[in-house]
Amino acid sequence: MSAYRKPLISKKVWSRYLAAFVLLFPALGLRLFTSVYPFFKTFYFAMTNYNPAFPPMEFTGFENFLRMRHDLAVSSSVSFTIVFVLVSTLLQLFFGVLVALLLNAKFRGRGIVRAINLIPWAIPMVVAAMGFRWLFDSEYGLITDLTYRLTGLTIPWLTTSLGAKAAVIIANVWKSTPFLALVFLAALQGVPTELYEAAKVDGASKMQTFFKITLPLILSQVVTIGLFMIVWQLAAFDLIYTMTGGGPGFSTSVLSYNIYQAAFGGLNFGYASAISLVLFVLVFIMGGLGLILFRKVEVEY
Amino acid sequence: MTNTESTASTYHSRRYRIEHYINRFLLYLGVALFLFVVLLPFYWITISSFTPRYQMFSIPPRWFPTEITFENYGKLVENIPFYRYYLNSLIFAFFSAVVSVLFAFLAAYALARTYIKGSNIIFMIFIISIAIPQIGTLVPLFELYKTVGLINSRIGMVLLMSSLIIPFTVWTLVSFIQQIPKEMEEAARIDGANLIQVLWRVVVPVVKPALATMIIVNFIISWNELLYPLVFATSSETKTLSVGLVELAVDPAMGAGRPWDLMSALSVSMIIPVLLLVLLFQRLIVSGLTKGAIK
Repeated sequence: MSAYRKPLISKKVWSRYLAAFVLLFPALGLRLFTSVYPFFKTFYFAMTNYNPAFPPMEFTGFENFLRMRHDLAVSSSVSFTIVFVLVSTLLQLFFGVLVALLLNAKFRGRGIVRAINLIPWAIPMVVAAMGFRWLFDSEYGLITDLTYRLTGLTIPWLTTSLGAKAAVIIANVWKSTPFLALVFLAALQGVPTELYEAAKVDGASKMQTFFKITLPLILSQVVTIGLFMIVWQLAAFDLIYTMTGGGPGFSTSVLSYNIYQAAFGGLNFGYASAISLVLFVLVFIMGGLGLILFRKVEVEY
Repeated sequence: MTNTESTASTYHSRRYRIEHYINRFLLYLGVALFLFVVLLPFYWITISSFTPRYQMFSIPPRWFPTEITFENYGKLVENIPFYRYYLNSLIFAFFSAVVSVLFAFLAAYALARTYIKGSNIIFMIFIISIAIPQIGTLVPLFELYKTVGLINSRIGMVLLMSSLIIPFTVWTLVSFIQQIPKEMEEAARIDGANLIQVLWRVVVPVVKPALATMIIVNFIISWNELLYPLVFATSSETKTLSVGLVELAVDPAMGAGRPWDLMSALSVSMIIPVLLLVLLFQRLIVSGLTKGAIK
């Protein structure tokens, strides 16, 4: 930063650092205590049999991880966590761009529709999860009724493994797509209108305009948000906890749900910490892959 | 389209107009479909909260109610400490919003303006710390809070919630602060104002809209929070509405996971404040949510 040469706060270096420290301290200190410290402490707890109901705590090495290998709840959660996150994120990106294009078009009542778009983002996830649980109810659910009227089939949404998985993902996509649409809409509004006019003069079709002009210009936002959604949704908890409780069986169980159950259902703090480490690794791998993709896009566009 | 044009319409302009109408039709169809999908759950929750319980469990479900009642709300107030939870939610969300924005503002100003070495790295640390999953930190936090006696404490919960939303708030506020010209601050410095005076008299008046925006956004996010209150609020003194809602779902005494009359009434009660904020401050909220991502 060339800005070093023109200090604003003071000409003295130490006083600038002191000011910066004082200003940064509350936020950084809070993050340190509530995020960084617990993060490292988890590595330690994962090697113990810590259970607040049964002291003393003993160092058990890798025992928790060996136990995990035979824990069906954890192994099925790992695979569904990945499926849940990837499928959700791809659908959210797809529908997010689609909705953003829709909200960017000129039509009557656009202001109200844009406000309505905010509703799924603004309402609590627990409310959405509860609502969808009821909508997907196999007997009294509105969506079950709707799919029956449209297809003639009674889809066992929440009572079968595949149905429950689909239902959870649908609810998740419904909840978060509007937020993505919002960001993409802001990006679309930043695209200079001259580009569209030039494309029109050149006789480009709508598809060509989208893929040659619009998409490249908003691609950086699409990849950024995609990366954030992957990382955020790896830790998604509220939806699963409220909508299915991981069921039927373990079919919709995700790692965050396992961690909560182990820690605050069974008070197995040590085991919960070990599962947390699995989640950290997953975040690291998927976040890292996302970051590589992000860098590639940044360079190319 | 004028009359002269329609009399002298060529093949091309007619084709163009038909295409135009088809496009308009498809557009409005898309808008209608979008509204249906977005509003369906919202509609169903609201309608259910005013439907008498005996009508809720009918096959096929009633898309339109034939009878409106407020008894679900009456039953809700009788069955859970509704007003207590409501007050707790308001306090939790309000103070989390204020504390997070205050701390994030100070940090964002330092990162945007003081030009220390490594401010980019500190900014990146804030952003990367978003990746540490909240759920994975609960066990050590629980132990820490037990040691310092912050379990079931409002202050403890507000600090956790603030911390959770600080990175995003810093990200957004840095973008806002970088946009304001620094000449005014420099002039104030030359006039002998100290750092606090510069912040309070020069910077705050300029970024007030941004701060208000982030308070609204963070209020909504905190109002909707489940995990921290679920773990750290252990009595009705501190429990929030979201905890009340999931407790209704798992409490067998309330109808084995199907007290939909109570749950829909509670859901609507939870939605009302955020809905009001969205309708009143739509523009501010949109700017707050997109500022960090769109440069």
